[in-house]
Amino acid sequence: MTHYRYSIKILPGATVCEDCTLEGDITIGGGTVIHPRVTIIAEGGPIIIAEYCIIEEYSTIIHKKNEQPENPPKPLFIGAHNVFEVGCRLESLCGHIGESNVFECKSFVGTDVKIGSGCVIGAACSLTTPQTLPDNTVIWGSEHNNREALEKQPSQLLQLDFLGKVMPNYHRLRKSNVHKRQMSRQSQEPAKS
Amino acid sequence: MAYLTQPDYVKYACSCGQIKPITSLYFCRHCLQIRCGFCICHEVDSHYCANCLENMPSSEARLKKNRCSSCFDCPSCFHTLSTRATLAQPRQTPEQGSGDSKVENKQAKKMYYLSCFNCRWTSRDVGIPDQPVASGGWPERVNPNATRINQLLDYYKAIAQQEKQEKLDRERKKFAIRGKYITLTDKTGLTGAMARNIAGLPSSESTMSAIANFVPSEASADVEELSEDFYTKELNLNQMTSMPQRLAAPEWQPSSVSRLYPIAKLLSVKRSQRCRACDHNLTKPEYNPGSIKFKIELLAFYHVPEVKIISYEPIKPGCTSALLLKLTNPTGHEMQVRLLQPEEVPDTEDRLEEPKSLEKSLEKSLNLEKDNLWYETVQRKADVTATCRVVTPDVTLTLAQRDDAAEYDDDATHDANDIILWRKSNKLALRLQVSCGAEVGAASAAEAALALQYRYRNTVPAAHEPRDHTLHATLLLQLGHVSG
Ligand SMILES: [Zn+2]
Ligand SMILES: [Zn+2]
Ligand SMILES: [Zn+2]
Ligand SMILES: [Zn+2]
Repeated sequence: MTHYRYSIKILPGATVCEDCTLEGDITIGGGTVIHPRVTIIAEGGPIIIAEYCIIEEYSTIIHKKNEQPENPPKPLFIGAHNVFEVGCRLESLCGHIGESNVFECKSFVGTDVKIGSGCVIGAACSLTTPQTLPDNTVIWGSEHNNREALEKQPSQLLQLDFLGKVMPNYHRLRKSNVHKRQMSRQSQEPAKS
Repeated sequence: MAYLTQPDYVKYACSCGQIKPITSLYFCRHCLQIRCGFCICHEVDSHYCANCLENMPSSEARLKKNRCSSCFDCPSCFHTLSTRATLAQPRQTPEQGSGDSKVENKQAKKMYYLSCFNCRWTSRDVGIPDQPVASGGWPERVNPNATRINQLLDYYKAIAQQEKQEKLDRERKKFAIRGKYITLTDKTGLTGAMARNIAGLPSSESTMSAIANFVPSEASADVEELSEDFYTKELNLNQMTSMPQRLAAPEWQPSSVSRLYPIAKLLSVKRSQRCRACDHNLTKPEYNPGSIKFKIELLAFYHVPEVKIISYEPIKPGCTSALLLKLTNPTGHEMQVRLLQPEEVPDTEDRLEEPKSLEKSLEKSLNLEKDNLWYETVQRKADVTATCRVVTPDVTLTLAQRDDAAEYDDDATHDANDIILWRKSNKLALRLQVSCGAEVGAASAAEAALALQYRYRNTVPAAHEPRDHTLHATLLLQLGHVSG
């Protein structure tokens, strides 16, 4: 387990609380805020979180192990401006999560769900069957109603700004350990593939 | 809290024969009877908007079709819409040369749009332009059938007027035959039409013309042809509205989501409730929509001893099982309670003997006319035939008055005997026996009926009326299922 610790890359500008469980090969992009008590486990392959995401308390992101492991393992790439609200859970085998998605409180996204950009998974909604959510899909309510929004969800830049200022006053933070030059190369690589 | 989250294990019989939990019953202090929502009179006190808490007189509410003019519901999920502000950068045209206008243009203007926090619908989704003011100013849509509806309204008003007039005339004729005297209108030649003119009511001529000019609608066989690709075009369900969404806007009934417009929020009412037998108020809310308090609140929960089930042994056919009950005295006076069998409850004299059908009562309850006959019809004896029977000990139990300060000392007094388990301020735990008939089949619902006889003190009795009364309450206990 100890060797995992070294494979956690935090880029400058990211706010990552110390009180969270990060296991495996994880890259956290600049401007992203990770609240305390967050669990991110990269057991099936690396997880790359792009810039300006908010990951709130008790959310869990797991890159699950595939039954036929590939070599080298494919990464799980989470795009920019995603919001993971309190207690949500995202399980994925590998792949690509678009940008500007909102995973509302206590929502669950299973392994075979492909998510585009600008989607909203409503509070307590759970997606378990294999499916692909086209861009701007909104799912809400106990009936899992869905609709298509006209535009992407507005970005949370103000909130990110605020959190970046406030969090260091109340929580121990992990230090960034990657330089800027490396960051730009790494965050662009998965976007191309 | 248990009453909100759990099934109702203990139910009381209302004087109308309905069986309901104590939390949905009322107690009329003047008739000394338990009443429920079914057998009392509901009256609208005031209209208000539940979102902005604005009060509205009923005439204004009717004019606005019982909708708030400043609040909206989401047309997609019916949640209340919230107003959100954005800073809109005014568009800069490249031709503008002078520096002054550029500085002016750079000033961001606050613009508002409506957004739903539940399904994330926004007023921008359907192309409603953002508004410069936070509330109001949203474009109002005209009902496409407004003129026709007004025509119909006028027509039916005229018909109602005419029928009323005919009835009046008939009545007068009857009267004229019987009476020897000439009425004032006959003597002075003042006709009904003139009287109406003086009173400012629409004259019979105008009603006549409204009826004469009315064009009934005609069914047409011409139906618009379906488009060529109707059967072949792939259907995008995300673009179609659901049935509830269409019915929420009956004037437009949009079939495509791009035509969903904000729905003006429906008003809520504050209502007071009145006993049908004595016309006294049972509940009366405070006028202010923001207040959830009542001026009058005669709930059974505050007047009738409350019974809760602590636990019971599994009910077996032909056996007796132990049943632990908790009795609570909610009143500020000491209360004597006796346990009886439901058959032992004496019939009140105004209760009619013959059994009434529920259908008949229902039919009567819809009738708005207030008369005592109505009340007699709805009054039924509750049907409390139960599979089990509580063995009622012949003792009188004394329940102390409610004392809010006693909540804090928790030494239960143990004057326990065969029946009393423990006693704590105004509460009393009882150990009783339930006997189940041998013929009862396994897995059928085990219910036991029980009656309480209690002394009730009326704190504000009418003159020449006794303060203390002996009252009865019949209740039904749900004891799970009969085990085999
Ligand atoms: Zn009733
Ligand atoms: Zn309102
Ligand atoms: Zn909505
Ligand atoms: Zn009454």
